[in-house]
Amino acid sequence: MKPQSLLFLAALALAPAAAHAETPQQILAAYEHQAGSPGNAARGERFFLSKRTRADGEQVACATCHTENPKARGQTRARKVIEPLAPVANRERFTDPAKVEKWFKRNCNDVLERPCTAQEKADFVAYLISVK
Amino acid sequence: MEIQARSLVLFFATLAASAFWLGYSWGGDGGGDFPPVTHKLTREECGSCHMAYPAGLLPARSWVRMMGTLDKHFGEDASLPPAEVQEITRYLTANAADNPQATLRMRRIASGIARAAAPLRFTETPYFGYVHDEVPSYVWKRAKIGSKANCIACHTRADSGSFDEREIKIPKD
Repeated sequence: MKPQSLLFLAALALAPAAAHAETPQQILAAYEHQAGSPGNAARGERFFLSKRTRADGEQVACATCHTENPKARGQTRARKVIEPLAPVANRERFTDPAKVEKWFKRNCNDVLERPCTAQEKADFVAYLISVK
Repeated sequence: MEIQARSLVLFFATLAASAFWLGYSWGGDGGGDFPPVTHKLTREECGSCHMAYPAGLLPARSWVRMMGTLDKHFGEDASLPPAEVQEITRYLTANAADNPQATLRMRRIASGIARAAAPLRFTETPYFGYVHDEVPSYVWKRAKIGSKANCIACHTRADSGSFDEREIKIPKD
């Protein structure tokens, strides 16, 4: 077998591992499709910054851990670094749909004490993509 | 004469090597008593919010309880898909403080916990209190420490599973 065809076979074998990788635009499109309307970056920014008081009395926002600058690193309550939310500052952000859903589920529960709507997710992703 | 000199060199070389070896095996509590998390999924999932604590810090029943309450994990939602919960639970329980291959320190942790108890915080186990009894409460409140869960603030090699006394460096502020 020629080295080229070996390379081709290797690429084929690796393809399934990369099958779930998407672009932030694809992830945005999926949420927009679910919501039935486009994501609104300005609304997403307000969503990101808005503070609310939880049932336990604590005042929280997305920015509590992520900081108000989506290009900056944040910190978890347990002091672990959170890589930036904006794809312009973190190329891995919004490339794995399962990971995006995992964190929406957790963080919407923690901050809003309810699941986020597809529209809120679309707005939020649209906002972060718009950050340059 | 030359042979004598050579055997003297050999003798001292052997002595030095033995001293080095003894220093390692007798030194304090020994390093690497809590093997760091090697299981990829566990390391990634637990380690995304905090240090991936070694499984040997808690008995299996604590890990089962922890993994069954991930939606309310110390005040946060850390929920995972059931298949991942199962896989991580399997790793943590197999390497827990009361597993058959546990190190001496792990066994001490396990034996200090009442049979009916399943603590979720290693810092609340009798062993933790015993080995930290000389740390005054004001030290824990220092900005660079902040929480008893922040092992690496003082145990400089905690992330590699080593909690050796010689590696401790307590921040001054």
